[in-house]
Order: sequence, then structure tokens, then C-alpha cells
Amino acid sequence: MVSVFDNPARSAASLIDDRPEEEIFRVNRAAFTDQAIFAREMSEIFEKGWLYLGHESQVPAHGDFIATRIGTHPVFVMRGGDGNVRCFYDACTHRGSKLTGRTSGNATTLTCRYHGWCFNADGVCTLVRGGKEAYRGGDLDRMSTDLREIAGLGSYKGFLFGCLDADVPPLDDFLGGAKPFIDLMADQAPDGLEVLRGESRYMMEANWKLQTENSTDGYHVATVHRNFATTVAYRETLSPDGDGGMAKTEASRILSLEKIGSGGYDVGNGHMINWADRGNPEAGPLWPQRDELLQRFSEGKVKWMLERGRTVTLFPNLLFNDVASTCIRVWRPIDVNLTEIETWCIAPRGEAPEARRARIRKYEDFFFPASLAVPDDVRAMEGVQTGSDALDDGWNDLALGRKTLVYGADEAARELEVTPLNSNPGREVETPFFAFWREWAARLG
Amino acid sequence: MVSTEQATDLLSREALLLDQKMWEDWLHLYAEDAVYWAPAMVGDEDWTDDPDNDVSLIYMDRAGLEARIFRIEGGDSYATDPLPHTSHMVTNVLVHGEIDGLANVTAAWSVRSYQRVRGAITRGGLYEYGVRETADGLRIARKKIFIHDDRIVGPIDIYNI
Repeated sequence: MVSVFDNPARSAASLIDDRPEEEIFRVNRAAFTDQAIFAREMSEIFEKGWLYLGHESQVPAHGDFIATRIGTHPVFVMRGGDGNVRCFYDACTHRGSKLTGRTSGNATTLTCRYHGWCFNADGVCTLVRGGKEAYRGGDLDRMSTDLREIAGLGSYKGFLFGCLDADVPPLDDFLGGAKPFIDLMADQAPDGLEVLRGESRYMMEANWKLQTENSTDGYHVATVHRNFATTVAYRETLSPDGDGGMAKTEASRILSLEKIGSGGYDVGNGHMINWADRGNPEAGPLWPQRDELLQRFSEGKVKWMLERGRTVTLFPNLLFNDVASTCIRVWRPIDVNLTEIETWCIAPRGEAPEARRARIRKYEDFFFPASLAVPDDVRAMEGVQTGSDALDDGWNDLALGRKTLVYGADEAARELEVTPLNSNPGREVETPFFAFWREWAARLG
Repeated sequence: MVSTEQATDLLSREALLLDQKMWEDWLHLYAEDAVYWAPAMVGDEDWTDDPDNDVSLIYMDRAGLEARIFRIEGGDSYATDPLPHTSHMVTNVLVHGEIDGLANVTAAWSVRSYQRVRGAITRGGLYEYGVRETADGLRIARKKIFIHDDRIVGPIDIYNI
């Protein structure tokens, strides 16, 4: 047996066994545990591609900012005095001190806490304290004192993405086949979407890619979340009146998989879709607006909006989840076996109070580290991380769903007039994962 | 009027019942119309304050608490099996008069939780209670839990906050 301690450096390509002609797709578990691979991911994926930063509703006014990270780089998104949103490296141009001391806030002037240099919300350096007395004529020009913007900032329907490398395809091209599925969430709000107050930030002692897989993994729902379904079903028997109507949770879609339509898509560029018919779509917070939506969109699109729960997993670390409630989730790698996860509830502006309340309660039921579901997911992914060390040559053979795989669109995809690279008429499939792993291998080279 | 001694006794009893995993006895301390609320953080210093429009970490009625016990006892929740050993430390108990007919009680809390997979986790915060005097003794009608840890490690549930 080869010891795990004397392995030579592995290439990403050696960890993916992709044989399209033989219809075999395997991933070596070292992809989740190899430190050198992790370092390459940071440089080739997180420093060279579009990554989610936040939603425009989080920075509505001049000086509003949110501080975040792209890969290992601290950055912040800020609304300038000219109304434009920019993203800057979060470092003073003087000696590198981090400028934002908070995760979010408002500051029309950012003052460096170290030596007092000031910057306005457009990133222009407005004060070099003592500069006139101490610097020569050309010194400040040479330093270029204004804040450094990241190479690219793009918005798709209010969702902000940033990129540290100028040499990448436009955001629109990157989102590509995922756009019609993002639209299902964005277009349901005539007055736009807003991120609700209330944050959640939690740690997972597992590799970030396990969250990418888990976000689109329909196979674990009936096992890991059986407890969620039985718990909410039990709760509803205790207060059938209080938890009726819109507040009723869709336990049935978890427990009775065989009775509902479901599926998974590879929509290209590493993006994956997983969907399932809602157990009781009329209990969804958007249902009262059905007639109005039918006037604006095709019947197929409205059916997808209202009657199908969707998880839209964007490469490499973003999930738009529109199931019982609506959630944005981002998972940021910290180390090969440590990941920070953040979630936000997003909702249509001007939503009716009872719909808003129901959306929030369902969000709390599922999407938080204090919920009835996420803790079980985290534990499951941590279990995979630990178990992935068990075999030095362990392979995950992603053959689940091969039997039903369709190249191109299936019937449900045609209803939305989209053509995935592959479709699978079932939720308990692993074939959408090919999208992620192929993009991953291509990026790492 | 609820005395500091009575309030301290109630909060200590609740802590002990949780640490001893006596869930039904613990639930019995809650009124039928109880609200159990852990707001979420907003930025670095604030918490959400409107459960109808903001997201909370937990916002439950008594049925929600019962469901949590169902979840814990069923053995089907991966995160909850095995359950950690916990020690709730509750201190600085003060009674501040009445709000909406309920005794307003505050306290500081810290919970040390140990489970072999995760090791020891300690988190803490403040409690704010609304306590009702009944013929059967004091009952918790409202419990608001401020959780200070905003980069949450491990699961959060009724047994470890």
C-alpha cells in the first residue's frame, strides 16, 4: 500500500477519470484532501473567475458597504457618491492596513485606522495626513493613492459578481445556461428582490467542494433530511391551525419522492440545476401572484416558478435555492478542510405580510446552523471529509442516474425553452456533477 | 412580583434539565403560548428585532419546541447523534419589573458543549425572559436568546444555547 505521506504531487487531471465514450465518470477523493490541489484552486479558480459578492439591495445608499473575500483576498463592495457600485481591495494604499473594520455599514469617508489616510466612497484618496510636509512632489503620484478596484465587477439582475483577473469571459457568458434558472427567482419580483436583515455565518470542517456537490445533490434529501420532514410533519400535527396555509412546510416532497416529478441538469460552465415538483405549490409565498405572472411570462416559465422547487448551483461556490423559501448561500474555502458558509434570505420587495412571514419561518426551518436541516448537512459533509482520508486510492464513481441520462433537453427543460448539456428526469442522480468537475479540471489545467 | 431568588431558581432549573437531557420536564417550564426567540445578527453590533420582517436564527412557538424534542429524541438527525454533553452556566440573574404582565428577567449565559467528533465548543450571550406566575409555579412565556458567536461552529439547538 502506498502511504498517504509519500504521494508525489497530483495533477487535477489525474484525479478525474472522465471517459465519455465508455460513460464512466469518477472523482478521486484526494480532490477533497490534497493541500497542493487546494493551493491551485485558490490561484486558478478563486483568483481567475467570477465569484459572488452580494446583492445590490445590500448597498442601496451612498457609502453603504459590505466587506467580503475573494479567495484569500479581502475586498469590499461600496456604493459611491456617483451612485455606482464598485469593489475595492480592502487595503489602504499607504501600508496595506485593512480599511473596513466591520462586515457591513455606511461610511461616505473611509479613514484608515493606522495612519489616518482618507478615501471617499468612490475610492478617491482625499487626505494624506501630513503629506504636504513630508512627501516630495512626485511621491504620491508614484504611489497611486486611490483605492485599487478589482479587475471586474458585474451585475446580473442585481446579483453582484467580482473577478480579480481582467482576462476572463464577460459575466453574461459565464452565467450562460444558468441564466434562465436565475431568472425564475429574479423575475418573480416585479419591484425587484431584497436581501432581508439577519445574517448567518457558520463553519464547516470539510472541503468547500463537498458543499458544491451537496447543494445539488438530490440523493441525500430523503436520508439526511428525512428528520427535517418528519419533524415538521409532527409539528404540523401539534398546531394544525397555526401552521396551516402558507406556513405549511412541504414535507411531502422529501418523503414521497416517487410520486413527484424531479430532475437534474448540467447547464454548462460548471453550473448545475436540481429540481423537484412542490408538494403543495399553492402554499408557496408567490402563489397569490400567479395570474399576474401568467400575463408577463409563458405558461411554462410560470409553472417552473411556482410549481417546481429549484436549486441553482453556480460554479464554484454559490447556491440560489428557491424551494420552500428563498436562500442565497456562499461557501468560501479557508483551508483544504475548513470552509466558511454564509446565507441570506432574499424575497420580493413589497411582498404581502403573511407571505413574507411564511417565507422567513420556512427559511429558518431549513437554512440556518440552528435549523432542522443545515446542521445535518454539515455533519454529513464533515463525515465525508473524514472518510475521504480512509483510502489512499478512493474513487467516487458518479454513475447514479446513468441509466436515465438524456443528452440535451428533457421534457421539463423544453417547457422552459432551455437546452442543458444533459438532463436527467430524476432528482436522485449524480450526473449534474459532471458539469462542476469538468469545469474544475479545466480550470486547474 | 417575582423575586430574584425565584427567577434564579427557575433559570438554574431550566439549565439543569437541559444538561440532564430531561426534555419533557424542560418543556413543562414553558407556557402554552410561549415564544422562543434567538435573533440573528445584523452587522457587528446589532440583532434583528422584527421576526415578521427580519430573519431570526430561531423563532418558535411551543409546538416548535416540542418538534425540536422530537428531532433530538428520534435519533434520525445526523448532527444530533450522539448528543453533546453540555453545561449551561447562567449568572447575573436580575428581575427588572414587569413588561406586558410578565416579569422581565435577564441573565448572562455560557454553554460548554462536548462531543467527541467536534471536541469542546463554548459559546455565550445574554438571556431575556418574560416569566409568568401561575398556580403551578413560574412559567416561561418568552425567552429571547442573544447568541454572541457570529461565526457559528457546530450545530445550534435547544440543548446548547
